[in-house]
Amino acid sequence: MHRMTTTSARMADARSERLEFRTVSKRFGPTLALDRFSHAFEPGRVHALMGKNGSGKSTLIKILAGAIAPSAGDFLIGGEVCGFHRPQDAFDAGVVTVHQELSLVPGLTIGENIFLGRLPHIRRFGLSMVDWADLNRRAGDLLHEMGLDLDPLRLVSSLSVGQQQVVEIVKAMSNEPRILLLDEPTSALATREVKQLFGLIERLRARGVTMLYITHRMSELFEIADTCTVLRDGAHVGTVEMAGTDHAKIVAMMFGEAAHARRPPRRAVTRGKPVLQVAGLQRVGHFHDVSFDLHAGEVLGLAGLLGSGRTEILRAIFGADASDAGSVRLHGREVRGATPRQMCEAGLGYTPENRKEEGLVQLLPTADNLCMASLSRIAPHHIVTRAAEAEPVRRQIHDLSIKCGDPENPVQSLSGGNQQKVVIGKWMNTEPSVILFDEPSRGVDVQAKRQIFDIIWQKAADGLAAVFVSTELEEVLEVSDRILVIRDGTIVGEVDPAATTLTELYRLCMEGPTQ
Amino acid sequence: MSVEDAGAAAVNPISRLVKSYPMELILLVLILFLVATAPGFASLGNILNVLRTVAMLGIIAFGMTAVIISGEIDLSVGAGVALAGCIVAWFAETLSGRLGGAAAVTIGFLVAIGVGFALGVFTGKCRQLYRVPTFITTLALFTTLRGVANLITGGFPLSNLPSGFGFFGGGYLLGIPFPVYIFAATFVLMHFLMKFTSFGRSVYAVGGNLEAARLSGIDVWRVKSLTLGLTGVLTAISGTLIASQIGSGIGTTATGMELDVIAAVIIGGTSLMGGTGRIWGTLVGVIFLGCIANGMTLLNVSEYWQYVVRGAIILGAVLLNQLLEKVR
Repeated sequence: MHRMTTTSARMADARSERLEFRTVSKRFGPTLALDRFSHAFEPGRVHALMGKNGSGKSTLIKILAGAIAPSAGDFLIGGEVCGFHRPQDAFDAGVVTVHQELSLVPGLTIGENIFLGRLPHIRRFGLSMVDWADLNRRAGDLLHEMGLDLDPLRLVSSLSVGQQQVVEIVKAMSNEPRILLLDEPTSALATREVKQLFGLIERLRARGVTMLYITHRMSELFEIADTCTVLRDGAHVGTVEMAGTDHAKIVAMMFGEAAHARRPPRRAVTRGKPVLQVAGLQRVGHFHDVSFDLHAGEVLGLAGLLGSGRTEILRAIFGADASDAGSVRLHGREVRGATPRQMCEAGLGYTPENRKEEGLVQLLPTADNLCMASLSRIAPHHIVTRAAEAEPVRRQIHDLSIKCGDPENPVQSLSGGNQQKVVIGKWMNTEPSVILFDEPSRGVDVQAKRQIFDIIWQKAADGLAAVFVSTELEEVLEVSDRILVIRDGTIVGEVDPAATTLTELYRLCMEGPTQ
Repeated sequence: MSVEDAGAAAVNPISRLVKSYPMELILLVLILFLVATAPGFASLGNILNVLRTVAMLGIIAFGMTAVIISGEIDLSVGAGVALAGCIVAWFAETLSGRLGGAAAVTIGFLVAIGVGFALGVFTGKCRQLYRVPTFITTLALFTTLRGVANLITGGFPLSNLPSGFGFFGGGYLLGIPFPVYIFAATFVLMHFLMKFTSFGRSVYAVGGNLEAARLSGIDVWRVKSLTLGLTGVLTAISGTLIASQIGSGIGTTATGMELDVIAAVIIGGTSLMGGTGRIWGTLVGVIFLGCIANGMTLLNVSEYWQYVVRGAIILGAVLLNQLLEKVR
């Protein structure tokens, strides 16, 4: 078929397509997200990008994908300067991105998804109609070329997450890209699916496609990448050949010398009776064998990478998702088949990681949101008046220094940090004995972050038991009295934050599936 | 709203009034217009007549407001009205001989209320357990209930009602039609329920963000089922009043009433997306619809034009709300 020949011809050109960055910088307000990044990525190889959160690797990828424009500097593909103003420009230049979040339409078939927006047409009876035979044949060829045994007529909704990821890449490949950007493609995949994905990447490399690959899983790098480029605080630290390096060297490049977190003086945690006891908790496909005790006044950190199962564990403890096995005890009493309502009544609180979607009712006033979880307390006879609400609302606004103007205004008018405080205040009004904090510092400014940590410490000093989860391991190290390391859905170790370094904690979290 | 907005509003109270109470102002203008142009619009008899019609619609619309705020819909209220009237009439006809008229009607009324509540809860349970959208369940009930109502009557009006029964729908108390009292009481109760009870708060929370409400320990499905059940009860009350007014249980009563009810709620500013709306707004909405229908009849506008105008008003009200949303 003609398209096959054009594909191979394009692939052959690809061998000379070098991707070169020349002192590219990106400034967001006062912060320099990318600082004079210069590097040339050799064509036809898999280049890993490493760096902790906020190091600038996402910024680099977004610039290359045309999503944002650099503040200074330029980059060249095959010696040609690229000025992308929108994602379509990058796409036209042969740069295709496979995002972490899948962008397939579940109700359509694999074939339709691959050719979405450019379905082949045929003229019949004087009408232009979709040429299904051609579409499915071409989709089948593509899948076959990539070594995949999938029927193009299958619905995407019937595929596993891993298969969907693979289809996503096939879809990207059908655009015959010169450069493929893979943003944490394995974060949601099981081990077997990762193998399939790597097989696909090998094939693409053999065809001369240049790939930039972002991952947090260290072991993957050695399996799939040819080079590793490390960024720190927006600057290019260095690039190494995978063959000539090891875990320790890369981690050292990522964190530099100052790998010790700032920590406030520790309070002595008196370990009384455990308040929350989790034993053998399991949710098939998400996490397994999770057991720990939490004591009054203790801040327990859960350290793990995205997709390690942290959030799923918290949600199951709170009863937001059902668990398949194991038990949760609050104050020594087991809660069976728990629902959030029961847990709330038993004195457990949960601040979800997505405060917009799960934490707050954006349309309602700040006051209503603050009272939402404690209506039975505020209104023992089911009658709610603004007078009865005034005290709990005033108390939280004061205690947590929430800047909200009039508490009668919708909570959506507040800044991210203040919204987060409203979520925390909502739970403080239930006078809980345990709160599970899931990413309480995400998307809030530095000052609000400090305030939120202070609140957690202060409440812990008053006897609250807290579980703290954050993607930023620095924060876990700083906030927690004790840390459990979560990897691949289970607890793999316990760490004393006073006796460990950030580098060591990262290493524990990243060691990937133990082979 | 920020401090600036508050300052601007203080400077220009008229623009603030227009932004905050658009439908109230339009209703006011409409009433003034009709008083000036429609012959007999302002007469006491006509006003009481409008109120009586509005009452039957409004009693249900207040319940529907809660249902829509909770993020659901009920398309079965028109058929529910017919069913309730037929149940009451059937009991009156069947049991009057043995128990006396008053007792028979009372039993019929209680059965109708029980059925209304049960159907609402059933709709809620279908949503919770089988994820059937309430649009679908109540669409199914819309035709089913109409059928059952006609099966009960056998296709003929059941007119064998006790003599005093007509008072509830057609009688006057202190010079005001009796249904208007029920209408006013329903308004007060629903306003109180939505504004001053934890249940009302939960309705807004559930409709505004189901997941956030669930994670705040609110029993979201119970809230939805109860709002639907409540609307079922109000539908049964309205159905009984209508049967009383027309003096019989007829399987084809209140055809298309569900659309008027929903229109009144929407004109009153409640969002079909859930989470926002006021009982007060619905009051404005039903009075608005009542005035328009009555006024156009008095002005001799043909019935067909009335349909067109009503459609334009529904769309206009929603467009106005969207526009104001942007301005605010």
